Amino acid sequence: MEVRDPARARRMVVVVCLIAAVLQLALAPQLSLFGGRFNFMVVLALTMAPACDIKSAVLAGFFSGLFFDLTAAVPVGLMPLLLTVACFVLSMISHGMGGGFSATSMRMVGVAMLLVNLAYGFALFLLGLESSLLYALLVHGLASSVLDVLAAVPFLMFGSSTESKKGFTARSKGTRYKSYTSLK
Amino acid sequence: MRPFIICCMISLLLLTFYIREGETGPIHGVRSVVTTITTPVRMVGSIVASPFHAVGNVISNVTAPQETLSELRQRNEQLTAEVAKLTEAEKTAERLEGLLGLRSTYSLESTAARIVGGSSDAWSHTVMIDKGTVDGLEVGMAVCNSGGAIGQIVEVSATSSTVRLLTDETSGISAMVQRSRAQGILQGQPDGSLQLNYITADSDVSVGDIVITSGLGGVFPKGLPLGTVTSVNRASNATYYTVTVRAQSLAENNEEVLVITSVSAEQAASSEDVASANAQSAGVAPAPAADSAGKND
Repeated sequence: MEVRDPARARRMVVVVCLIAAVLQLALAPQLSLFGGRFNFMVVLALTMAPACDIKSAVLAGFFSGLFFDLTAAVPVGLMPLLLTVACFVLSMISHGMGGGFSATSMRMVGVAMLLVNLAYGFALFLLGLESSLLYALLVHGLASSVLDVLAAVPFLMFGSSTESKKGFTARSKGTRYKSYTSLK
Repeated sequence: MRPFIICCMISLLLLTFYIREGETGPIHGVRSVVTTITTPVRMVGSIVASPFHAVGNVISNVTAPQETLSELRQRNEQLTAEVAKLTEAEKTAERLEGLLGLRSTYSLESTAARIVGGSSDAWSHTVMIDKGTVDGLEVGMAVCNSGGAIGQIVEVSATSSTVRLLTDETSGISAMVQRSRAQGILQGQPDGSLQLNYITADSDVSVGDIVITSGLGGVFPKGLPLGTVTSVNRASNATYYTVTVRAQSLAENNEEVLVITSVSAEQAASSEDVASANAQSAGVAPAPAADSAGKND
């Protein structure tokens, strides 16, 4: 029988956050494909949100967005706002479903990434930092979404392998949910 | 629900303050500190990624018959820069009746730096260099490489700076056609190309002309190569040409660049150039007088 270990789960979350931050700083500036770039902070926040309670999801979105804004030459505050809203909504609609790698979670995360990137491009257009709405949405926004979805796969798989084992005492979801793995 | 509302409020306040504050506001200050702290990680990423860039070049060059395409591109870049430099030197010498002679056209006061990374987002064309305020760099300074001007510093921290490239669509630099001295503003486009705007219809511009800095903004020295004219179009009854320019040089990762720390009086635009620009733009266009690589900042 596997025992739920909150300390281990917290450690794994910290490790994942550190990996995402390093990737964002070291890898994202080096890679550009079809006008898009990886945004590992978007990936981190949106892959964590379905597995978290609403408060944690909101904080993850806010701080991920803030980290991105402070390490890139972009307006500060825009990405935290979008990721806060996206993580809030994602956590709400995935309430009780849990995280991990599945077709449903991929669909939800993919749609959320697309919407965040399109909204970001649109906001930059409104702020006058992008002169072409077409390029902002259909080139940069779409290409970045595709790259983010690709990057989300390992994050979700990693999340599903390290997801804390839920039992009747699982407070995060507020549900009386028990996973099969805990019954082994 | 409360954390959600609080985070949204903080985000909106941050965005508002960021837009309203100047280049030295508290949010820029925080970003500068974060950039300084995270620069080593970026440098490691740049070093690790450099062999992969080389692999990418090898793959793209595999169809070259004898010499690799990268070597040819580099050679072409050097030759075009050399032609621009020599032509500019010749014209200057002619105009000033041989006063300057064979004196080097670009005696720049500059600091060498290295590009350590590209933009972190898909919407802007910027690069990060490994020098900052500790080395005397400031926002607004011009940056060039062996091929010519590449951009202008828009953010600076203690140990690194962000350079907005000419191809960024918020970038604008005073430029002129070397052959005819027609002046305009070279602006980045959403697709990463360059467009020379405000060239009046009576100007003499043709495909193949070399575009150089005019020195009018006081940021870039006069005569630095910017690119080559690839197309010249004018709609019927239009006041200006639509001139597309191919950038002279690309900012490659790990490449050495020069940050121009000051422009001497000789390197700035002459009174003749200013008068020419005024005459060209009188009554029909905004005077092409300011280099600005970051209208948002």
